[in-house]
Amino acid sequence: MPLCLLLAALVAVGDARNPLPPRVDSLIVAGHPDYAKHAAPLADDAEFVRRLHLDLTGTIPTAAEVRAFLADKNPNKRAIFVNSLLESPGYVRRMVWFLDVTLMERRGDAKVPRAAWETYLQAAVAENRPYNALVRDLLSNDGSDPKTRPAAKFLLDRDLEPNLVTRDLARIFLGRNLQCAQCHDHPSVDDYKQEEYYGIQAFVNRSFLFPNAQAATAIIAEKAEGDVTFMSVFDKAKKSYTITPKMPGAKPVAEEKPEKGKEYKVAPAANVRPVPTYSRRERLANAMTSRDNPAFARTAVNRIWAMMLGRGLVHSLDFDHSANPPSHPELLELLATEFVDHNYDVKWLVRQIALTQTYQRSSIVPATLADVPADRYLVASLKPLTPEQLAFAISQACGQPDGRGALGPFRGIFGNRPGESQDGPAATLDQTLFLKYGASVRGQLGTRANLLAKLPSDDAIAEELFLGVLSRMPTDDEKHDVADALKAAKDRTATLSELTWALIASAEFRFNH
Amino acid sequence: MPRCDYACNTADHGLSRRAFLGASTAAALGPVGFASANANAELAKSQKRVLVIFLAGGVSQLETWDPKPNTDTGGPFKAISTSVPGTHICELLPHTAKQMHRLAIVRGLNSVSDDHGIGEKIMLTGRKPEAGIEYPHIGAVSAKLLGNGAASALPGHIQILPKGSSGFGKADATFLGPKFASVSLGDGKPPADLFRPANLSVESDAAREDFRRKLNDRFAKSRKSAATDAYAESFEQAERVVKQAEVFDIEKEDRKVADRYGRHDLGRHFLLARRLLEAGVTYVKVSHSNYDTHHENFDFHIEQLGEFDRPFAALMDDLADRGMLETTLVVVMSEMGRTPRINDRYGRDHWSKAWSVALGGCGIKGGAVVGKTNATGTAVTDREVYSGHLFHTYLRAVGLDSTKSFYPNERPVPIADPKTAAITEILA
Repeated sequence: MPLCLLLAALVAVGDARNPLPPRVDSLIVAGHPDYAKHAAPLADDAEFVRRLHLDLTGTIPTAAEVRAFLADKNPNKRAIFVNSLLESPGYVRRMVWFLDVTLMERRGDAKVPRAAWETYLQAAVAENRPYNALVRDLLSNDGSDPKTRPAAKFLLDRDLEPNLVTRDLARIFLGRNLQCAQCHDHPSVDDYKQEEYYGIQAFVNRSFLFPNAQAATAIIAEKAEGDVTFMSVFDKAKKSYTITPKMPGAKPVAEEKPEKGKEYKVAPAANVRPVPTYSRRERLANAMTSRDNPAFARTAVNRIWAMMLGRGLVHSLDFDHSANPPSHPELLELLATEFVDHNYDVKWLVRQIALTQTYQRSSIVPATLADVPADRYLVASLKPLTPEQLAFAISQACGQPDGRGALGPFRGIFGNRPGESQDGPAATLDQTLFLKYGASVRGQLGTRANLLAKLPSDDAIAEELFLGVLSRMPTDDEKHDVADALKAAKDRTATLSELTWALIASAEFRFNH
Repeated sequence: MPRCDYACNTADHGLSRRAFLGASTAAALGPVGFASANANAELAKSQKRVLVIFLAGGVSQLETWDPKPNTDTGGPFKAISTSVPGTHICELLPHTAKQMHRLAIVRGLNSVSDDHGIGEKIMLTGRKPEAGIEYPHIGAVSAKLLGNGAASALPGHIQILPKGSSGFGKADATFLGPKFASVSLGDGKPPADLFRPANLSVESDAAREDFRRKLNDRFAKSRKSAATDAYAESFEQAERVVKQAEVFDIEKEDRKVADRYGRHDLGRHFLLARRLLEAGVTYVKVSHSNYDTHHENFDFHIEQLGEFDRPFAALMDDLADRGMLETTLVVVMSEMGRTPRINDRYGRDHWSKAWSVALGGCGIKGGAVVGKTNATGTAVTDREVYSGHLFHTYLRAVGLDSTKSFYPNERPVPIADPKTAAITEILA
């Protein structure tokens, strides 16, 4: 029996008897000849609570939350904590950020305002809308109904530009950067064919923005005719091909040919939005999210895995092809199959990953491990905080009452450029100066300092400072350092502000470790 | 079928600014931090630099480098002789005329676009805009290719704007990454975050930095990575930049020198440019606004060039006196020229077909003139060049091989337009 069928059969038995996390872990263990010997132990409670909090709610825990977790004697407390965070408002916030950046890549908000888009995503995450349903919604909405228009943002705020939409449909939902295939088969990736690129484009090439791409209120219109033809720029004979809508690796979509004279529900005319009888674009959502298009679920689980583990099983996230296989092919297959069988349940998947030992491993590199291979998951990776996480974590670290950071300046300084994916850390001069002297950070330090100044002893201050900013207890050395700094202080509150800053500016804070 | 533009050359194919930086930051910062003061001074002397003076709005070639007196198109001004026998320029530039032995003129430029934005892009990237790829500006290219030996922690790509805000994060480095993007100084003012806040003393700043370093050292004992190293190093770089912050303060300059430049905006901006170049900044651009003279072209050019002429000559003298001209390429450009035809409002309109650019300093043959226009300036009659030719020339002048490529995403992107080549007649 093929693995996927076997697994499908096993799923039927139910989560309780055959839970997913240990199966994930055993495939990770199998991915290294001597995994048990080299892998880091599980993270301690403080490391775990910070990591999970950042990954599931987008910010660090408060000192009180860390204390409570450390004191909790329940052997099952990690699973309980995972569940409680998944049901918290923080989870909605975090997943809205994740979905927004994944789908829109910090593009502008010309046609669907940011607030409306975020409200739309909040509703989807709050009801844990299945991922396939969400994407169907994004790709089928034409923006004409003001009530549901935010769903059309993916297409509208790319101006429905055919090459951009084709490229991003393939990258974001299929894990394939087919951009080279716009002009020719990919020169170094055999799997990336020009016909795949234009097969996707054929879904949208008849669609356009009405009345025009510049209008902020533009909606999607479609013509009843228009074929996609392409030729390779390398082909001296200039042979031209025509292609109908199809997903890479799938069969072409069956097309309908309306009778002559009945091509339109609403015929084109001056200042009229045409609506064809047969819409190619309407086929896009189903073709994309169909079970016959396995790249869709595979890419989704790979992206969620990367959100949690800091690296995709397929790496880079948009470079899935046979010569760049996943680090753990069976694991990716397993996750994709289970995700589909669990009705594209994102929260379920996040929970399963959070409960694995692989996720819960320490980021402390074992002394015996000289070199850490990035793709074997022996040690937890250091994930740079996203701009949103950084904004909220700094606010929380400073003890702001609502713990909500102002996102704008952080997005501007730390965010990827519009249309680029956000990956890997950077440390550019403007970012560092922003953290070092910028008012956005500096203006918040006093809140924490004032809270600390009320505490009765230097030890209590050190403890609250480290728990509140770095989510862990200070070491004895660190307590001494804090006490020394306070002894030398002319202005205690000012010194406490700068100590808070030092912790915030440390690498330990900047990364989710 | 859509026009094919070889989109696979684009930067965003697998190469993000983040990935790019992750690999390059630590390496790029390494040698600078540990070089001794003497070694820095030596590096600073031989380091090649680029200064672009951008006469924004479109300067008239007829009122500057290619006068046509006593013709239908020439306007009211005379041509005057210069320090180079036989070379004449417009009488609005009497001080500059005495610098011509240090400058070459390219008189046959066709920059293709009569649009401000597109023209600026063409002039600064050396290419016509192409769909699917954004080319880096000459400032980013200079910072990237000339910056390795820079003796300064300062950003390698700085633009001084007549007004407006100061800050980072311009998109002009494209696939070269944000490290090489310009830092803008509106009216010459540096970004605010460069200065220690008033309520943070030098001692407190040092103390908190020590504390931060200690934390980082402890963290690195068990979790060292290239990314954490680069992050920690970025604070060391920031500190070096902050220490150099007084370079932005022209009040620190000798009064006599400052007076030669003049105390008005452009004089201050030129002086600041020289200070930055002297401190080791690879590329500085100074913009002077505004030459977009659809009305009253002649009056406005008297005014604008009157502001430009004396400080520019002072700048050239100062660079030469300090021995910096040998290592600093100076380019006076614009986004386009102006029509030979004088319109009914005594203005000149947008014009890209036949205009001029002046260059001097590092690698340039002073006094050379290349290219000709016809008697009324309406067409190039000899040695027509495009912005690509100039781009090659800039790179060659500062000792670079302009035929090489960048490799974003391991794909070759020629540094300069391969359909063009350097203007060797003006190279020293």
